[in-house]
Amino acid sequence: MADKNVQRLPAEELYQREIDALISVDKDPVPTGWRMSPRAVLHYITGECTVKGIPISAKYIGDWRLVEIAIATLLTDRALLLIGEPGTAKSWLSEHLTAAITGDSTKVVQGTAGTTEEQIRYSWNYAMLIAKGPCPEAMVKSPVYRAMESGSIARVEEISRCASEVQDALISILSEKRLSVPELGLEVPARKGFSIIATANTRDKGVNDMSAALKRRFNIVVLPTPSSIDDEMEIVQTRVEELSWGLDLNASQPDRDTVEQVVTIFRELRSGATLDGKQKLKTTSGVLSTAEAISLLANSMALAGSFGDGSVTAKDLAAGLQGAVVKDEEKDKVCWKEYLENVMKKRGSDWLPLYRACRELNG
Amino acid sequence: MGGPVLFGVRHLSPAAAFHLRRALDAHQPELVLVEGPSDLNDQMKWLCHPETQFPAAILAYTQTPPVRTILYPFAEYSPEIQAILWAHEHQVPCRFMDLPSSVFLAFQTAEAERALESQEADGEEEPEEDRSNTTEAVYRRLEELTGQDHDTFWERHFEQLEEDYQAAANTFGRELRASVADVPRSAAETLVREAFMKRCIQEGVEGGISPEKIFCVCGAFHVAGLEENAPMTDGELAALPAVESAVTLMPYSYYRLSTRSGYGAGNRAPAYFELLWEAMNGKGLVQAPYLYLTRLAAAHRKAGNLVSAAEVIEGVRLAQVLAGMRGSRYPVLADLRDAAVTTMGHGHFSELALAAADTEIGTRIGSLPEGVSRTSIQEDFYRQLKALRLEKFRTAQTQRLELDLREKLNVKSEQAALMDLRRSFFLHRLRVLGVHFGQLLPSRQEGANWGEYWDLRWTPEAEIEIVESALLGDTVEGAAAFALKERGEESTSIAQAASIFEDAFLCGMPEAAAHALAVLQSLSVDAAALADVAETASRLSLVVRYGDLRRFNAAPVVPLVKQLYLRACFTLEDACICDVQAAPAVIRAMDQLNLLQLSHEFLEEDRWLELLAEVSDRDDLNTRCSGFAMAILLERGKADEGLLAREVARRLSPGVPADLGAGWFEGLAGKNRYALIARLSLWRHLDDYLSTLDDEAFRRALVFLRRAFSDFTPSEKNDIAENLGEIWGVNPQQAAELLMNDTTEVEQAVLDSLSDFDFDDI
Repeated sequence: MADKNVQRLPAEELYQREIDALISVDKDPVPTGWRMSPRAVLHYITGECTVKGIPISAKYIGDWRLVEIAIATLLTDRALLLIGEPGTAKSWLSEHLTAAITGDSTKVVQGTAGTTEEQIRYSWNYAMLIAKGPCPEAMVKSPVYRAMESGSIARVEEISRCASEVQDALISILSEKRLSVPELGLEVPARKGFSIIATANTRDKGVNDMSAALKRRFNIVVLPTPSSIDDEMEIVQTRVEELSWGLDLNASQPDRDTVEQVVTIFRELRSGATLDGKQKLKTTSGVLSTAEAISLLANSMALAGSFGDGSVTAKDLAAGLQGAVVKDEEKDKVCWKEYLENVMKKRGSDWLPLYRACRELNG
Repeated sequence: MGGPVLFGVRHLSPAAAFHLRRALDAHQPELVLVEGPSDLNDQMKWLCHPETQFPAAILAYTQTPPVRTILYPFAEYSPEIQAILWAHEHQVPCRFMDLPSSVFLAFQTAEAERALESQEADGEEEPEEDRSNTTEAVYRRLEELTGQDHDTFWERHFEQLEEDYQAAANTFGRELRASVADVPRSAAETLVREAFMKRCIQEGVEGGISPEKIFCVCGAFHVAGLEENAPMTDGELAALPAVESAVTLMPYSYYRLSTRSGYGAGNRAPAYFELLWEAMNGKGLVQAPYLYLTRLAAAHRKAGNLVSAAEVIEGVRLAQVLAGMRGSRYPVLADLRDAAVTTMGHGHFSELALAAADTEIGTRIGSLPEGVSRTSIQEDFYRQLKALRLEKFRTAQTQRLELDLREKLNVKSEQAALMDLRRSFFLHRLRVLGVHFGQLLPSRQEGANWGEYWDLRWTPEAEIEIVESALLGDTVEGAAAFALKERGEESTSIAQAASIFEDAFLCGMPEAAAHALAVLQSLSVDAAALADVAETASRLSLVVRYGDLRRFNAAPVVPLVKQLYLRACFTLEDACICDVQAAPAVIRAMDQLNLLQLSHEFLEEDRWLELLAEVSDRDDLNTRCSGFAMAILLERGKADEGLLAREVARRLSPGVPADLGAGWFEGLAGKNRYALIARLSLWRHLDDYLSTLDDEAFRRALVFLRRAFSDFTPSEKNDIAENLGEIWGVNPQQAAELLMNDTTEVEQAVLDSLSDFDFDDI
């Protein structure tokens, strides 16, 4: 079974029991190259059901229709592009989709400014290349290459951070569905089931805009920021639980009120208005995504577990909040102070400890 | 069981219409009964007329105020329409079988009265009745269970049925009925309606048709009721309330269908449903996704976007896969939309919203053959539309109409010579009646009173509004006259009365105008505010000046203009004792009066000039008003250089408080700037005056001066700069640069602080 000493297990190992259970009861037709039927994939992602005594947890909280569209896209052998603000569970969804469909979510190309075309196609083991000349053994296959060979799904993360020539390398793969290796006189056809899930960040718009040609080869699904505070709180709570389980944080889960406070602060500063819409606020330079709220809470738990009594206090939170909100020293600090005085201070006794702790940090 | 065939349908459902026709073919009935008011049978022949184009609606309305209406909209894919058409094609008798519209309207009236009574009785709304078991509540529960909205649910499970539609719909209706315990009142209404329908069936049987040869088309909900309930007896029929009502057939639009929510009254996507209807009668529903997505793509391209055929193909594939995953054979509208957004809209529906509205709702408007029974005012409207050659404007597209009200001398008949004027009268009368057919646009050049510009657009609403005007009169003119008279009797201020008079004038209705004038005269006897008097007088002045153009005898108006002018002259001086806030209104009135006097010789000039001189001269009035009076005198050439110099010196002498001095200058600068700019001495005085002020007073003056100069044009500012350059002995260009430059941040901060300036002690 899964190795306990690994910091973060891939989804298919972490949720192996759920996947196995779903496969064992799956009665619908399974497409070529898939491990379970589309409906089972949907159940795996949206959760909220029990199969053979094993509860299936919700992997994506939000509109099911979007998940349906994503799965349906992969069924039509089109590539899928997930777009959204940071922290809208793009990578998370893409990982779980591949885990459920192919049982292997590790064929990933991480898009960065330094990603080269070789990382999309193939490169060479140069020692062997020099020793033996071009031969199949000397070739280092990219995740995309391997996915084509095996008929599974490759993931390209943050595609809009790649240089445009790297993005262009994907065009021929997606339209021809084959990859040529002229050095070996090879043409590798993609097997049935091959597809690509890419993710892109709306905040990165303009860094390396995707060409129309490439966009046309993707079905695009926009993942929205959680629409209601309840949804967002549920996301934060489940993810914090999962994280703390893997990280041995030695602290108890933050209670619902704490989560609500953090999510409220994030939502308010993100939207530039209080939740009731009555007061306008200045927005900060940071994104304040749901993912940041999750890591903030995990961080507070680590503080509480290592230096406190194991339960998250206002002080632990305040330190994290300060770091999350104040990204650009001068401007954000003013916003944050204004928020403390104008909003938080007036929120009553529940908020008082957090307000005091934050105040202390800001002098 | 040998009973009549009961075919339960959902209104405005193409599948119901499609299966209904097949069922009719199979049964070959001898009598077709359709759910719909039984007093509307006469209208059926028009619905079957070859020139009738759907959507159309039957409108029933009460003939006494307050007008209540009921509307029965039909599209081509309405099952009711297809049943009627089938009967027409096969020469089988066909009748409506629901309660007469007069009874429905009586119900409505009674309901409204009850609501009013209970409101009066306890001042509040009736206590909320238990709504947990209404049809709506059942739909909501269904939505929760299936995770899709009711329209989608219905489309997925019923619109795509290929066999057994009748059984499925009837079962749905029966189950729905079983789980609904409706509010008592509407449940009672349902029972009464069903008893009446049953009676219609019975009448058919008594007429010698065997029951199994009778075919009833009704809402699926009523099927169980028609099976179980007893027919209405003669006594019960006689006891039904009824109000006097009339009926008219009118064209309808898809847009209006889509805005009416709720079962039976409309549906969200008429154009899409028509597309389904086409597909069903063509190659089958399998064709629908192709039709929808290609039309959507075409509309999106037309809006200037790029859509490749490959994207459309991918869209169809995705929609089909989505439908499979969501459990239906063919994609429904929700699937098609999702697919379109994903493949063509880059994930955002907003990109496709325009094209989607085109494809799903559409702009279709129905039309009816000539001779359809109409109300007399409708007849009159269409007759005039034809006579005035405005028929081509009766479209959903907005069209511009430009009218030249002057008599055309180069045409023969008087009719043609005044065509545009008569058009104008007609359109103004419609405007007065509140019929939204034409929108009057502001005239383009100032004073170009012979030109009039209208945006004309026909909507079914306009038709309804015309029908509603039937209560006011039998012709457009008669109704408009009545409306104006009513308004005249209700008016309480001269401004209101003047606007009625103006409307009557624009409508070309001398009697109505005379009536309004009388009202105006009696109201103007009582003192009114200067601004109102001046405004009214200048409006009347327009009529006197341009009355000829509209063939209007303006003579009766002249005495009233005189009277108002006199009144304004008497009150002007007092009105000038006012604060900063009231001053602009007084100044506007002065300007209007000045124009009034200039345009009519019958108003005494001397009186006006003396008055201005007085205002200009007095020190105890609002200085801005005095300044403006000076400006008028200057403009009319009644103040010479010497007087101006003296006044400037006096008003801007050291020691005069900053707000008074600068305020006066602001008034002076309100007119004939060119003359002011040309007078160097004026600027020298102003400069001298400003330099005598201390800092605090200077800041105060700045507020007024900034306001005074705010609407000067750049070239005027440039000229002032030249003047100042001369006075200060600097290069005019440098001065101009200083004046024209955008304010710097520091300056802006200082200026902002002026906004908070405390005027309390002024």
